[in-house]
Amino acid sequence: MTSPTPLRALIVDDEDLARHLIREYLGGHADIEIIGECDNGLDAVRQIGALSPDLVFLDIQMPRLTGLEVLELTGRRAGVIFTTAYDEHAIKAFELHAVDYLLKPFSKVRFDDALARARTLHAPTVAGVAHAPAGGASAQAPALDALVARRTAPLERILIRDREQVHVIAIDQVECIEAQGDYLAIHAGGKCHLKPQRISEIEEQLDATRFLRVHRSFIISLAYLQAIERPGPDRHAARLRSGKRVPISRSGYEKLRELV
Amino acid sequence: MHPILADARKLLWYVLAWLLAGVGIAALLRLTEQAEWTGALEFALPICLVWSFVALSSYYVCRSLPYSQRRWPVALGLFGGASLLSALAWLGLGEAWDSLGRLVSHDRPLVAMTSAGWVMYFAAGFALYLLSLLAHDVLVAFETVQAAARREAESRVLARDAELQMLRTQINPHFLFNSLNSISALTGFDPAAAREMTVDLAQFFRRTLALAERERISLGEEVLLSEHFLAIEKRRFGAKLKAELRVSPAAADCLLPPMTLQPLLENAIKHGIRQVDGGGTIAVDALVRDGWLHISVVNPVAPDAAPAGGHGVGLKNIRERLAVLYGARARIAWQRSETQFSIEINLPAETKETAA
Repeated sequence: MTSPTPLRALIVDDEDLARHLIREYLGGHADIEIIGECDNGLDAVRQIGALSPDLVFLDIQMPRLTGLEVLELTGRRAGVIFTTAYDEHAIKAFELHAVDYLLKPFSKVRFDDALARARTLHAPTVAGVAHAPAGGASAQAPALDALVARRTAPLERILIRDREQVHVIAIDQVECIEAQGDYLAIHAGGKCHLKPQRISEIEEQLDATRFLRVHRSFIISLAYLQAIERPGPDRHAARLRSGKRVPISRSGYEKLRELV
Repeated sequence: MHPILADARKLLWYVLAWLLAGVGIAALLRLTEQAEWTGALEFALPICLVWSFVALSSYYVCRSLPYSQRRWPVALGLFGGASLLSALAWLGLGEAWDSLGRLVSHDRPLVAMTSAGWVMYFAAGFALYLLSLLAHDVLVAFETVQAAARREAESRVLARDAELQMLRTQINPHFLFNSLNSISALTGFDPAAAREMTVDLAQFFRRTLALAERERISLGEEVLLSEHFLAIEKRRFGAKLKAELRVSPAAADCLLPPMTLQPLLENAIKHGIRQVDGGGTIAVDALVRDGWLHISVVNPVAPDAAPAGGHGVGLKNIRERLAVLYGARARIAWQRSETQFSIEINLPAETKETAA
């Protein structure tokens, strides 16, 4: 091989023709090797995990999982080129965090430009540790972190990756969320799912009219709140519909009284 | 409520006008030597004050006969009869007041009217009530015109809102830009298909723009538009998207508001077919039975997709539009099972011939 290791690229888009176009545009770049294509978000999560590509062309509006949800689940924070036809929310977020994106339909010139930018961002990993796992020290990482963490609309569903499987939990199924070390225990539909996330981060994403942080390590869904109990002087606990009891801190009690 | 009673200023002017009429009657009595000035005023002013309120009733008499449904013999009879009745009451009031005056002052009646005087007084009562009726009639007519103008302005605003809404849904930017992207891709390896898709896209937009201006179009025209739409979407989604349109000839002739079927297909693709691995078939059936047009759209959905997510707004829009045009005669219902979403619309079957 004459050139350095080629960049390994994954194309994610649910439209065949859209993937075809990216393939065609990439045809002129000898230093890029297409290692796979996905036509939905779930598959993308799997492939990114299995292949750890250097570069991902990621469509935003896809069935099953959106592009941003793919990022959230894979923890990938570098080597991503977003493509979208029209998505006001996503575009606003890209602009806000200075993340590069391609607006469909895009020209070859614009595509090459985005590719060149992605190459310079990738350069350190190519020169140093080859094929560093995604999320390595890249200039893109903080921007993508912010993009994933601070989505504009309140969370409608919680995604949990369990090895090869992705669980989708509708937000109205969630009874309460408990912080356990580096993990969140999400209680929903009689089951408990573990997700690596900070409680303050998910608190920000939840709809504040439906969920309340009643304790340093507990968030409850108001829809599932059945009663407030007083197990002792100056101590309160929330009884939820499943019978589960959750401690309420003093400040949590104040907030709860304002809401209920 | 009566517009004069509702407004204190208007009421004041109105009562003053009646008192002026009272002075007029008193002057008439004095001139015809039926009474002295004091007696005449004492007689006429209180009666006019009372009568000013009685005469307000003419507003309701006028309202009972709206202009649009008025037949002149009936109107004349009603106005004449009402005036006659009220003049009789007016006469009774006059006599009662006069006798009361006699009781209070013992010796002297307020007026000393001859029968001719009473006839004249009766005629004045008749004329005053008739005058009040006519004045109120003008008032009611004026109110009706104002209300009609307001309603028209309101409905114009509503119509413009609906039109804007429709334009926004027609020119769905996501659809437009994705289609252009597909064309851009096709140009590289299948120029003929790219050209076909361009034509389909142009036809789709041309037809939507032309049809959107009309209040109702035939289902056949809507199907033609939907076929262009499906042709474009089939290029985008390939083998994932299949569609079966079964529209009976009788159903194709039926009228319905434009852009009723196409948004349903768009929803079926966006929330249904696209989310299902391997795609599926959208089945559209339309037929006429017992004077009703039945349209059903059935499509597969992914079991874990949000319940009716996104379907909601679009369907509510269609339901509102149908309600405006058909009232309670239109029905739209939808339901989803684990793997399927179905919508059914029932409309009165009207064709161009029956509607004209």
